[in-house]
Amino acid sequence: MTAAQVPLAAWLLFAAPVSAILFGFFVMRRVKPEWTHLPILLSCVIVTAAAFWLAADVYTGHSFDLNLFRWAAAGAFGVDFGLRIDGPGVAVLAMVSLVGSLIHLYAAGYMKGDAAFGRFFLIFHLFFLAMIGLLTANNYVQLYLFWELVGVCSYLLVGFWFHKESARAAALKAFITNRIGDFGLLLAVLLIVLQFKVTHFHLLYLKAASGVSFALLPLIGVCLVWAACAKSAQFPLYFWLPDAMEGPTPTSALMHAATMVTAGVFLLVRSWPLIALVPGLPDLVAWIGGVTALFAAIIAGTKKDLKRILAYSTVSHLGLMMLALGLGQVGAALFHLVVHGFFKAALFLCVGNIAHALHQSTVNVDDVGGLHKSMRLTYLSFLLAALSLAGVFPLGGFFSKDAILDAAWHHGGPLALMSMLVAAGSAFYIFRMLFLVFYGARSQQKDAAHVHEAEPILGIPVLFLALGAAAAGLLKAPLERFVVSGLRGLPSGLPGLNLVLNLPGELFLPHLNWIVAGLGTLMAALGAATAWRLTMSDPGFDWRWRGGVAEAMFESDFGWKILIDRGARAVSRVADCIGRVLDKGCLDGLIEGMAGLTRAAGTLIARSAQGRVNDYLWWMVIGTALLLGRVLR
Amino acid sequence: MILPLTTLWIVPLIGAAVCSMMGSRSKHAALIFSAAFLAAVGIIGLLQRPTEGLLVINEIGPAWAYGISYRLSADSLSIGLIGLTAFLNLICVIASWELEVSAGYWACFMALSAALTGVFLARDLFFFYIFWEATLVPMFFIIGLWGSSNRLHAAVKFFLFTFLGSVLMLLALLALVSAHHRATGVWTWDLAVLDAGTLGSAAPLVFWGLVLGFAVKIPMVPLHTWLPDAHTEAPAAGSVMLAGVMLKMGVYGLLRVALPLFPILSWDALPILGGLAAFSTIYGALCAMAQTDLKRMIAYSSIAHLGFCLLGVLSRTSQGLTGGALQLVNHGLTTGALFLMVGFLYERSHKRGLSDFGDLASRAPYLAFFFGFSTLASIGLPGLNGFVGEFLSLSGALSALPVLAFAGMFGVTLAAAYALPAFQAVFWAPAGSGSVSAKVTDLNYRERAVLWTLSGLMLWIGLAPRPWLAWFEPALRGLVR
Amino acid sequence: MSLTAVVWGVTGVLFFFGLAIVTLRRQLLAMLLGLELMLAAVNVGLVHHAGLFHDAEALAVVALVIAVAAAEVVVGLSLILRVRRGGRGADAALLTELQG
Repeated sequence: MTAAQVPLAAWLLFAAPVSAILFGFFVMRRVKPEWTHLPILLSCVIVTAAAFWLAADVYTGHSFDLNLFRWAAAGAFGVDFGLRIDGPGVAVLAMVSLVGSLIHLYAAGYMKGDAAFGRFFLIFHLFFLAMIGLLTANNYVQLYLFWELVGVCSYLLVGFWFHKESARAAALKAFITNRIGDFGLLLAVLLIVLQFKVTHFHLLYLKAASGVSFALLPLIGVCLVWAACAKSAQFPLYFWLPDAMEGPTPTSALMHAATMVTAGVFLLVRSWPLIALVPGLPDLVAWIGGVTALFAAIIAGTKKDLKRILAYSTVSHLGLMMLALGLGQVGAALFHLVVHGFFKAALFLCVGNIAHALHQSTVNVDDVGGLHKSMRLTYLSFLLAALSLAGVFPLGGFFSKDAILDAAWHHGGPLALMSMLVAAGSAFYIFRMLFLVFYGARSQQKDAAHVHEAEPILGIPVLFLALGAAAAGLLKAPLERFVVSGLRGLPSGLPGLNLVLNLPGELFLPHLNWIVAGLGTLMAALGAATAWRLTMSDPGFDWRWRGGVAEAMFESDFGWKILIDRGARAVSRVADCIGRVLDKGCLDGLIEGMAGLTRAAGTLIARSAQGRVNDYLWWMVIGTALLLGRVLR
Repeated sequence: MILPLTTLWIVPLIGAAVCSMMGSRSKHAALIFSAAFLAAVGIIGLLQRPTEGLLVINEIGPAWAYGISYRLSADSLSIGLIGLTAFLNLICVIASWELEVSAGYWACFMALSAALTGVFLARDLFFFYIFWEATLVPMFFIIGLWGSSNRLHAAVKFFLFTFLGSVLMLLALLALVSAHHRATGVWTWDLAVLDAGTLGSAAPLVFWGLVLGFAVKIPMVPLHTWLPDAHTEAPAAGSVMLAGVMLKMGVYGLLRVALPLFPILSWDALPILGGLAAFSTIYGALCAMAQTDLKRMIAYSSIAHLGFCLLGVLSRTSQGLTGGALQLVNHGLTTGALFLMVGFLYERSHKRGLSDFGDLASRAPYLAFFFGFSTLASIGLPGLNGFVGEFLSLSGALSALPVLAFAGMFGVTLAAAYALPAFQAVFWAPAGSGSVSAKVTDLNYRERAVLWTLSGLMLWIGLAPRPWLAWFEPALRGLVR
Repeated sequence: MSLTAVVWGVTGVLFFFGLAIVTLRRQLLAMLLGLELMLAAVNVGLVHHAGLFHDAEALAVVALVIAVAAAEVVVGLSLILRVRRGGRGADAALLTELQG
């Protein structure tokens, strides 16, 4: 296959966003900034169409992987950039483009009238473009490029309202935490170059599957997991995500559903053939995922800010995906990733609608209540998405979560128990949120009479997303096929690479197991019932437990946040110490001190030179006499 | 007879002479001559494109007493760095166009370019040293005459500090030349002829003398304390030349003199030199975090960036050397752009502190855009130039001595921790009391044109670094271990 | 006592007189005079030895020394005049511009 045979759709995937961004930056922003979104929305349509076109191609067996140009070369070292349109990539790509486009449409309504409307849309679309690039990269260096671009765009969007102190701090926190994770990815890429001499995914799969043992592979695997932990907000690097909701709500929706946090899971999916070869590492991934899922689900049940509840919910669901990956269920992880994209985007945008109706950037559960009458469409969307999240049959979330629960069930032990608890916990926090926001009017709430349904441009995308979340269960069979084609080998692709790989890990999704499905539903019902008990039948409960040790514990994420803050402060204190005391004081002081000594000596000697000609003459005579004495001796 | 290489350094020198005589019209002369200089480099570079082998042009003059001879030679590394000099010189002239300065200012810049070009061309160590020292004089005046408040102190410190390094270098060179004479009976300063094997047991001393001389210039921690002062007090264009080209002389000296003469000694010294380089990246980044003055912060970040160059160069692998050489150009562009913008800020407000501004993203969006862009390039965002150099250098270092690469990567991570808070404090935070943001008007067309050029190059190198790497690679092939 | 010894004696006496005047006196004119005396003393010795060795080079040196002395007198006298005009007399102790 040559570059000329690459389908037009694959080119459009990049050509449309790049030209839309350039056109927006150089033309629209000057001519008519409030119309910047028009070319970008057009580009979204093109990208979505192209993504589905490619998905159809891949589904019928036309996946490909092609090097397009040599990016950098020196001596024997070379990195090519190319395109890899294969199952896992295109499955996520289709979800990202559809969900992302709907969020773009939503943002056009949500951000209308903002002074920096043009800037917002340009960065927003760049964010989208970065994710497309990440999903179609065919080697680690290219992936790293887009990985970082995703990070920068999220930084700019989280800090979009930069006049707010909290937004600036959150943006910085997000970026630096991601940067700490990128340390892992960069190191992994460098080690891959060192160990394998190539960074191309498929060549790596071949080398890894060849049966030779590689000394650096365990380190590479750990680094990759570390990177994924930062990007996908897993313990111990999850803490940036809940703060990152300081950005405008469409940003949060895009970050949580489509473009940012899924990148970490996707990295692990791409690297799975490498990671699976390291003994013990899959277990580590499973445990990280399980622990994060459980504790984030618990914390999500205690938060009051709507967006923060959803943020912890994202952390929890990403944990579930990692759990699935760790148990070797690549297919289940990707399935949940896709379904999660739909329901999480819908939930965030519902919160956006409520915030928009109240004219504030975020909403506290105290401020609202009983909205199911005044905001019917939003309520309906939220309900669908929430049921999907809680795993209620026959909505999408049921199927994807069931696959993960099934894997954990078969693995047994504490992980099975944890996954069941997560199922109960997710149902609890999302039903608590549902009850508090849409039912049960309370005394603290703001005047609900003013709250009215969102305008169509805000309501319709949300409804579509919610419908997607409800129907996503249908995607089970296609996803299986996508994943298998992507990781088992490419039907057509690089020359000479047509052999089928026999890689570890279960790519097929499990069949419905009635025991697990029943148990999962029971746990969800339990969570929902608890939520009803604690919010509706005893409305004061949510406030009574606050103020004590429990709140301190939950607010600090079981103390982890405090540790992180201390660590950050320690680093800046060390820097201060080095910069001010060691460098300025000691090192430079030493140099300046020596200069000072020289100056002092000069002044001392100068005192003996009073400027009298006779003195100088005497010195001259003495000197000459000494010299003569030396010569004549 | 056409002497292309002599022309290269004579053009800016004539430019300096003309500038000093033109009085009030000297800046026009400077513009014409720096453009001519850049064109000359461009023509020579294009005509002599390296295809397969090395690009080499030689000029050999008559030999004088003690084997001193006028001997110039240019390969792609030299031409690349001279190109950088010429480009930044032109940028500096355009960027300082509206400064009210005397003719000497322009003459100094042209003279500086001439001397720098000579350093990159000379293959006779005597002339190498002469040009090396000659760079100090114009820079001394640039800092001392047109700098900010504490300029005299900074200028003297700069001069003495770097002069001390050069003296060590001179001693090493003299030892080398006389040892060669003693062993072979031939006086020569020719780099290609001199053989460090004649030194015998004194070789390590000579090697370290040379390295010290170069390390002061780079600058390598702990020999760096002149740099923040010099940068802080120098005028913006002076900082650009200082960071953009003068620091590169140190790395160039290593590549051209120390490594070829002492291949084995330098490899043995890798743990120490590489360790110091890796330490510089972390130390520079940590120091930058503690700064409250924009210029000082960028100066410390320079120390960190040059640390990456060194890591790559010392690794003596193909990707490390090429990446290190590219990083020299990258750093010139990125840090040059940052210093220029701090200069624009200073011209408008006479302040440089991180807390003196605020809210500039709303008041001066172009400035914010370019500053953000350059900051991202400087912290090594992939897709922009800084990443290419860092990635290749670290990749080289990893295969030479993994610990070094590991340490260097901490520097990459820390970069975000100093650059972004500074960006936020100046551009995002609300203007506090005592803020001078009101005086800061957005960039005008001239300034924007300069920054568009620099940013365009940063993006180009980041997205398609291959031609750039291919340019430098042949010249460095001989050093690969 | 040979002629050479006499000449050396005269030379030495003249030279040390000159040196004493230059170093001990503070009158600028006198110091200049002392300088000339030292140069003249050297000239005496040179002329004698030129005769002794039939060496013309020594005579050339003598001519050179005379020329230097003349030049020096010109410069010195004009400097002294300048200082006097400046209103500070001709006292070397008052000239302290060289103070470090």
